[in-house]
Amino acid sequence: MKDNKPKVKSISYAKWGYIFIIPFFLVYFIFTFYPQVLTFYNSFFENFRDGLTQIGPRFVGFDNYKALLTPSDSGTIDILKYFGNTIIMWIMGAVPQFVIALLLAVFFTNTRLNIKGQGIMKTVIYMPNLIMASAFSMLFYTLFSNVGPIKPLLVQTGIIDQSFDFFFTTISVRGLVATLNFLMWFGNTTILLMAGIQAIDESLFESARLDGASSTRVFFNITMPLLKPIFVYTFITSMIGGLQMFDVPSVLTNAKGTPNRTVMTVIMYLNNYLGGSNNYGMAGAISVILFIVTAILSIIVFKTIDRDKG
Amino acid sequence: MNKKNKIASIQLTLLRILVYAVIILLCFLCLFFFVMLIINASRTNNQLQRGFTLIPGGHFIYNFKNAFTDSSIQIPRGMVNSFIVAAGSAICTTYFSALTAYGIYVYNFKLKKLAYTFIIAVMMIPTQVSAVGFVQLAYKYGLNNKLWVLIVPSIAAPAVFFYMYQYLKATLPLDIVEASRIDGSSEFVTFNKIVLPIMKPAIAVQMIFSFVAAWNNYFLPALLLTSSDKKTVPIMIAQLRSADYSKFDMGKVYMFILLAILPVIVVYIFLSKSIIKGVTSGSVKG
Amino acid sequence: MAEVRLKDVVKIYPQVEKDKHNKKKNNLEVTDRGVVAVQQFNIDIKDKEFIVLVGPSGCGKSTTLRMIAGLEEITDGELYIDGELMNAVAPKDRDIAMVFQSYALYPHMTVYENMAYSLKIKHMPKDEIRRKVEEAADILDIRKYLDRKPKALSGGQRQRVAIGRAIVRNPKVLLMDEPLSNLDAKLRNQMRAELLKLQNRIQTTIVYVTHDQVEAMTLGDRIVVMKDGYIQQIGTPQEVFNHPANLFVAGFIGTPQMNFFEGELVREGDKYSVRYKDYVVELSENKSRRLADNNVGSQSVTFGVRPDQMLLGEGGIDAVVEVSEMMGTSSHLHAKLDDKDIIVIVPNNGEETSNLKNIKLSYNGSMVHVFSKEDGRNLEISK
Repeated sequence: MKDNKPKVKSISYAKWGYIFIIPFFLVYFIFTFYPQVLTFYNSFFENFRDGLTQIGPRFVGFDNYKALLTPSDSGTIDILKYFGNTIIMWIMGAVPQFVIALLLAVFFTNTRLNIKGQGIMKTVIYMPNLIMASAFSMLFYTLFSNVGPIKPLLVQTGIIDQSFDFFFTTISVRGLVATLNFLMWFGNTTILLMAGIQAIDESLFESARLDGASSTRVFFNITMPLLKPIFVYTFITSMIGGLQMFDVPSVLTNAKGTPNRTVMTVIMYLNNYLGGSNNYGMAGAISVILFIVTAILSIIVFKTIDRDKG
Repeated sequence: MNKKNKIASIQLTLLRILVYAVIILLCFLCLFFFVMLIINASRTNNQLQRGFTLIPGGHFIYNFKNAFTDSSIQIPRGMVNSFIVAAGSAICTTYFSALTAYGIYVYNFKLKKLAYTFIIAVMMIPTQVSAVGFVQLAYKYGLNNKLWVLIVPSIAAPAVFFYMYQYLKATLPLDIVEASRIDGSSEFVTFNKIVLPIMKPAIAVQMIFSFVAAWNNYFLPALLLTSSDKKTVPIMIAQLRSADYSKFDMGKVYMFILLAILPVIVVYIFLSKSIIKGVTSGSVKG
Repeated sequence: MAEVRLKDVVKIYPQVEKDKHNKKKNNLEVTDRGVVAVQQFNIDIKDKEFIVLVGPSGCGKSTTLRMIAGLEEITDGELYIDGELMNAVAPKDRDIAMVFQSYALYPHMTVYENMAYSLKIKHMPKDEIRRKVEEAADILDIRKYLDRKPKALSGGQRQRVAIGRAIVRNPKVLLMDEPLSNLDAKLRNQMRAELLKLQNRIQTTIVYVTHDQVEAMTLGDRIVVMKDGYIQQIGTPQEVFNHPANLFVAGFIGTPQMNFFEGELVREGDKYSVRYKDYVVELSENKSRRLADNNVGSQSVTFGVRPDQMLLGEGGIDAVVEVSEMMGTSSHLHAKLDDKDIIVIVPNNGEETSNLKNIKLSYNGSMVHVFSKEDGRNLEISK
């Protein structure tokens, strides 16, 4: 063009794009990104409070990680044990959660069954998802504790012994955690899976039925394959959420993970380092490990969704 | 032929009965504990000692007064604090997520793509990862026990941004923005007067979700809010658990729990339809 | 009220990496700065003039309009409204109004609020706003819808609201981007007539974009025909129709399309004739003079004759009718002429045309347009 002519200044809206996104990024970098970096940084330092004396900060390289992965006196590696606890309790809740949600979603969307009152049913099963987890757990504690109303009922009917204590038995505490998680999440999953099934072209079901496929056939050959992206998405986000399990086991066991730390989760472990002794070094190392595990799971989600899209 | 038809219809009816039974059982499970909570909250400690009944005890107001005026667990204080944090977070999250989504959706600028990719990439990072650094900074600068420290970070909520962005893509034609420009409004006025009203359904849904999430949040507030006049409701509930339990008036304990979850239940009763709609529209549609 | 002047205005869209492999639609020029959507656009639009930009999609007409509006950056060149340089002025300060193809009504506001919005921003007193909105509503006959939301209106009513919103502020320049294209055919004809009446009433400069050449011909004081970012011709409807600047304009303006023939232009002194095979027609004196003025010699040319100027008769070129469409006042004959499809319009004088088969076609020398084979330029028009 005519380069010798001075360029006339023109109207441009680009700057408004920056202005509008600045608050978000500014806040993100100050209140989230910088603390995240600090978390990573801390994980390489010895930095905690012992009584009234402050130890560190002192650079220790990977010592915190080594300490985390070194077996304790009893021969167990604590963090692996807590990961194990977390995953076991997540599975105990997630398996029934997904089985029931899938069944309900299929029933609700089946035009032949024509289930009535879906609106109110959805409303009821979704409600626990919004309930304060700590209050819900506290309710469970009061109901199931030795002085609560449930134990006498079960003793009377002979299901349990008078000496049985819900909160001193691994399986029952884990069971309560799983039950709470199940109750809080199966409604949510049902609604998501329903939306997924409803997004499938209805004519596919109709033509399969005309081709003579049975209901189970239709489910395995049509519903499941087409539902897979959403199923995987909900499943892995549930797993990521499960790894962050904290409120329920913490309130149920008064942050102790009793009995014998079999209900201690990773975040409770993190919380103990952070709350009690302000041990930023160890807490940082746990966070980094949690971050890596979550990142791997997230990548799996995106990969799966991407593959199914293309 | 007729016989075949009959068998099929009986099968269908049986299946239907089974399905209804399962659903009713699940609904019962969801409601049972809350019914128990409400009944127990109306009974005195003595009545509660005698075991469980389905008949309400008639001391609801008594327990309410007791719980409300308790000196160690100041539940009214906690509810006010929780409300400040929840309402503040809800407003900040929705307004600024909408603003950011609008900025990235409507304008063309060099870093647009990068900004979008960045937000999507950090969406899955657990909040606990920043917690260590966040707590450390808060104590360093003496910002623990400040409620605004829990509100301000909610300005940057990647997941809410994503929802708003999807909503804008589906509902806002760029012509409308340009029409507003020609009508003489500045870019901010266009956003506040034209775009925000169009986004009202999305904002309402996200406001509810972020309010509830903040109201229920326990992990981070528990690490930061240590002074008794700053504590939020979940912290107080957890405190109940760690207190010497046997000395407690159980009627009051149930009332505390009821008060903690009541605001959300009330909101839910009125808005359940749009909330449930919001659950699905926020998810990745593939 | 306002003159609009565009001087060497150019629009270049920086090329995005992914577009490079994508469709290379419209034959737009690609330079190292990007895709050139509008090339060196020059025009002086007079006060109260009704200018129509017309061309096929992707020709740059909407982009030009949006640059005048200030919705699109001007890459190069200058835009003046009333003699003032406008390149860096925000749309709100240009005193223009625009009617969008999609109407772009604010869905959450009533018709009244939609129309009042721009006045409210200017902090006009409330009663004055009401007076102006009601006045505009009366002109457009939408007063009874003022309390409705756009959702509750039909397409035609929305269209009126969109126009009302634009005229309520007495803009210096009114811009219209394909405003009638979302209406059905009947409503479109009706609105076209109303737009003409409207312009008489509001007496403002109008720049109007359309892809429909009938709209362009009926509405415009002057028409700007565009293609691939270039202006092809600027002129009154008569000029553009009677003296198309090139093959593209000749083919684009007028329905049915002009028939084109590959033939010879023969010059003998100051007399010119066109030859198609054995059929020779001498051009009219006017045409010959213009050709001579341009010093055009004998050469192979493409020449065109409009369908209604083709004559059926005893002598001329042989053609075979394939289909005959009875249109009422005339019939359209779709015929084959040496493997070429042509159309002939025969006025309806009571004779049956459906049984016509082998016909002989001729044309008058004053009705032949001669175009260069090299660049498609109309040879009558000097370079």
